[in-house]
Amino acid sequence: MANYHPADELLMQFAAGQLTNALGIQAACHLESCSQCQHKVRLYEQLGGDLIDISSPVDVAPDAKSKLLAALHQQQATGERASIKSAAELSLDAFYEEQLSQANQRLPKPLRRFVPEYYDNLPWKGLSKSIQSYDLPFSDEQYTARFYKIAAGKELPQHTHNGNEFTLVMSGSFADLSGDYHPGDFVLADHSTHHQPKAHDKEDCICFAVTDAPLKMTGFFGRMLNPFLR
Amino acid sequence: MTQSTQSNAQYLNQLVLQVAQKNEQAYLELFDSCAGRLKAYAIKCGSNPSDAEDLLQECLLTVWNKAPQFNPKTASAMTWMYTIIRNRRIDLLRKEKPNLLQSFDLWPDGHIEQSQPDDFTSSDLNDDVESDLNAKSVRILIESLPEEQRQIVYKVYFEGKSHSEISLDLSLPLGTIKSRLRLAMKKLDNLAKEQMTWLIIILLTNF
Repeated sequence: MANYHPADELLMQFAAGQLTNALGIQAACHLESCSQCQHKVRLYEQLGGDLIDISSPVDVAPDAKSKLLAALHQQQATGERASIKSAAELSLDAFYEEQLSQANQRLPKPLRRFVPEYYDNLPWKGLSKSIQSYDLPFSDEQYTARFYKIAAGKELPQHTHNGNEFTLVMSGSFADLSGDYHPGDFVLADHSTHHQPKAHDKEDCICFAVTDAPLKMTGFFGRMLNPFLR
Repeated sequence: MTQSTQSNAQYLNQLVLQVAQKNEQAYLELFDSCAGRLKAYAIKCGSNPSDAEDLLQECLLTVWNKAPQFNPKTASAMTWMYTIIRNRRIDLLRKEKPNLLQSFDLWPDGHIEQSQPDDFTSSDLNDDVESDLNAKSVRILIESLPEEQRQIVYKVYFEGKSHSEISLDLSLPLGTIKSRLRLAMKKLDNLAKEQMTWLIIILLTNF
């Protein structure tokens, strides 16, 4: 059970369907295992329904109804989409089915389509021995998404952030001055956060990080690393 | 909360439950009562009129196909349709861009769009207390929010604006936007707690 959660504003944007790719997937991963946030999202979805409910209708095209009925009858005649699920969803079901026998089934569902293996077998890129990264394929114009792996017992160079960094702990745990973070915890660091995260001794810590600007290393060794950290 | 909004919500629930039984007449009634507002949602989200018509068609076809999964105990018909049009909107937007993400990536289990039906038939509806609660809850709130808070909530839902963009839009400091939204959220949260309390009381008195 997570102790740190996304801000209500972010959950509202999620329920509004307005988050960009990277943040959307990240929020969906947190939500999968957080009933408290699921409850809030339901409330905000209800708010979405109410916003439609109280809005004033606009005119629809005069042929909209007949077009809809025609599409419906055609669908019934061909038996197409007789299933309550769309073709895309059916292929996704098949995909998940297949995944059951595969290595990445321990990942949160929203990630399985994008990440081929469980953490141990991913092609990590080394920034240094203590920190490695894996680029996730759904970065968008605004946000970059990656996994970071901090080796057990290792500390990152002290750094601050030019923009926002949203971190979701996936496995293992880490600590900095403001807290102790475990799987499911969702942490936001911004330009005012000046921290030096350290992975706990027992195991590597895997984080799913979404950043809108590169990290800025502030310690001496950190400054040397800056050119290599995008 | 007026009697009519409450019974309107029940009326919509009823219609969707009839659509689940493949009742075309109910489907047409649902069209008449919701199509204009669903299209208004698309327009407010920035669709041009022709895309808005496409989204409306997609949404209503999905309503027909997924009606058997509608469960008024989980959400009101309007909330359920909201999640459908929101998801179809995401998918239509991605259709034009070579973009990997689809709504099913964000809601892999469908949440309320595909919640499990639990042997629900339309005849049960009249004494279904929970659906009353669904119908009531947030609407009271949105109507009671001061205009300045409501405006910001609108911008989040329809324009997908971030706080800093809203602050530019309204020429107000970022801190003001944040505190107004926080106030709105707090009201929502209190309301949710109140709703849970009532639900528990009603459930207890029913047993």
